Amino acid sequence: MPALFSEGFLLGLSTGFYCLAACLPLLAPYLLAEGKMAWDFNFGIFLQFTGGRFAAYLIFAVLASVLGEAGRYALPAWALPAAMAACGFLMVFLAVFRLAGRDSPCLLKSDLNPWFHRIPLLLGFVTGINVCPPFAAGLIRLLQLADVPKGLVYFIGFFSATTLFTAPVMLGTPWLGRRASEIGRLTLLLAGLWYLALGLKFFF
Amino acid sequence: MEPAVSRGKKAAAAGLFFALVFIPAFIFSGLIVGREISRLYAMVWAIFSGAAAFAIAYTGKVSFYRRLFFSVSALAFLVHFKLGLLDKVLAPTCFVSTPYCHIAMAPYFLGYLYQQYLALMSSGWRLWGPLTLGAAWLFVTLALGRGWCSWACFYGGIDDGLSGAVRRPLVGTGRLRFLRDLPAALLIFFLLVSLANMAPEYCLWLCPFKFTGAFLSRGGGERAAQYGLMGLSLAALVAGPLLTGKRTFCSYLCPFAAWQALWGRLNPFRLTGDAAKCSACGTCERACPMNAVSFAPGARPEILAYCNLCGQCLDACPSAALRYTVFGLELPSFGGAAGALVSVKYFYVFSALTLSSAFSSLWAPAALRDMVKLIFG
Repeated sequence: MPALFSEGFLLGLSTGFYCLAACLPLLAPYLLAEGKMAWDFNFGIFLQFTGGRFAAYLIFAVLASVLGEAGRYALPAWALPAAMAACGFLMVFLAVFRLAGRDSPCLLKSDLNPWFHRIPLLLGFVTGINVCPPFAAGLIRLLQLADVPKGLVYFIGFFSATTLFTAPVMLGTPWLGRRASEIGRLTLLLAGLWYLALGLKFFF
Repeated sequence: MEPAVSRGKKAAAAGLFFALVFIPAFIFSGLIVGREISRLYAMVWAIFSGAAAFAIAYTGKVSFYRRLFFSVSALAFLVHFKLGLLDKVLAPTCFVSTPYCHIAMAPYFLGYLYQQYLALMSSGWRLWGPLTLGAAWLFVTLALGRGWCSWACFYGGIDDGLSGAVRRPLVGTGRLRFLRDLPAALLIFFLLVSLANMAPEYCLWLCPFKFTGAFLSRGGGERAAQYGLMGLSLAALVAGPLLTGKRTFCSYLCPFAAWQALWGRLNPFRLTGDAAKCSACGTCERACPMNAVSFAPGARPEILAYCNLCGQCLDACPSAALRYTVFGLELPSFGGAAGALVSVKYFYVFSALTLSSAFSSLWAPAALRDMVKLIFG
């Protein structure tokens, strides 16, 4: 098991830059848009996002291991674009409602809907199910391993290493202000439209 | 210039300012174009730059003559760079095959740094670009800052020239106020997706000058989307200013404007308002082509970070409440026509004009040569 953890960790270390490039267009605009000048609040967002990603990784690890046990060595082709489109849709939805202003009847308002606080978790989850190249490499190894506990250990190692690359995004957040939030919402909208277009391109 | 000074003295001082701009402009322009074409073209361009300096010093009006210089420079870029791609008659210089665009560099900066890191790690440190490009950009920022967008940028010259051609705008831009930070959002977005895809995404999707065919995708739907977005960008660059009298591309779609608004703080030149003189009439807000003056009724105008020191508000202000300063401070005033040149305003104009004249020497003298060849064979 330690050997498998190390293998996953090393895969994460060697390909972490690609993970960073895949996660940053989601996480950075969200932090800009929703973060505050309080560092602990932003750290909470980051932890939720990371938690969502972790949950997605574990689910994929179980799924891939089960598929491997069943002798199926491929994921459906629509999985990646569908995940991207879901991710983009969530970002656009959030940005549009937040741009509409504080007085608009918005279901995402924290006082109306307590689930609003859990949006980073959902965002992290849909980011996690975005199959980026390093993630796909790990997935193939899991299909080959075809063992659920081993798969989980391997992906925990992979997740730990890739998180090291995404963590520095927190560094700039103590300087966030109202203006940065407004810029962040526009960025979130642009990034959401981008992911939505990338995902939908597959289906049309 | 002080109104009490006689015309002769004013002309002499303006002549001195002409020489101060012409000499460095000719030296740099000659060095840049001398290897490929006759230095005569460099001299013509330096004379034109000097003439702009003369007119500014003689009339005291910055923005009108700046706009003239700026628009001619941008037009020369179109002639030499873009028409050169379409028509072999206009023999291109080396500049044509190696486009260097500051607007593309800013949103691709993270990807560019990563590529340089790879070059460094693979022992290719001699090819390490930031040493030269970074130094050039730092020099420009220290000398001009945000003024780059109103004196040197070839996109800005088109936008600015067209916005100045409108007497009475047909459409107002008041409703677009919520989009004022869109350039900053575009900058962050393109920085991130360009890093993710390791491609200059701004050039691929939003550059108004890419209609000549380069960078377009082969796929039908994707190509149509590229044409659509580039068309939108081109409309913001050409139709937008003609309809609104504002620099719509620079105000809402240019990521480099946001980049320079951030780093331009390093530059010492500022536009400062005098609260005691200001009558809160709002003329400066209406005059600003960049929508960079925020003005609540009854309150004093607030100059935003997007101000690129073009001088339009300064010339329009009826109570002369706006002036160029160095970090908000003025130099001690000297009497006489020549003494008036020892002011922040003329230090700034000198800095901006010589630098933009040298930069535009990359294409303006060659464009002149193209025209001469086209007309006289």
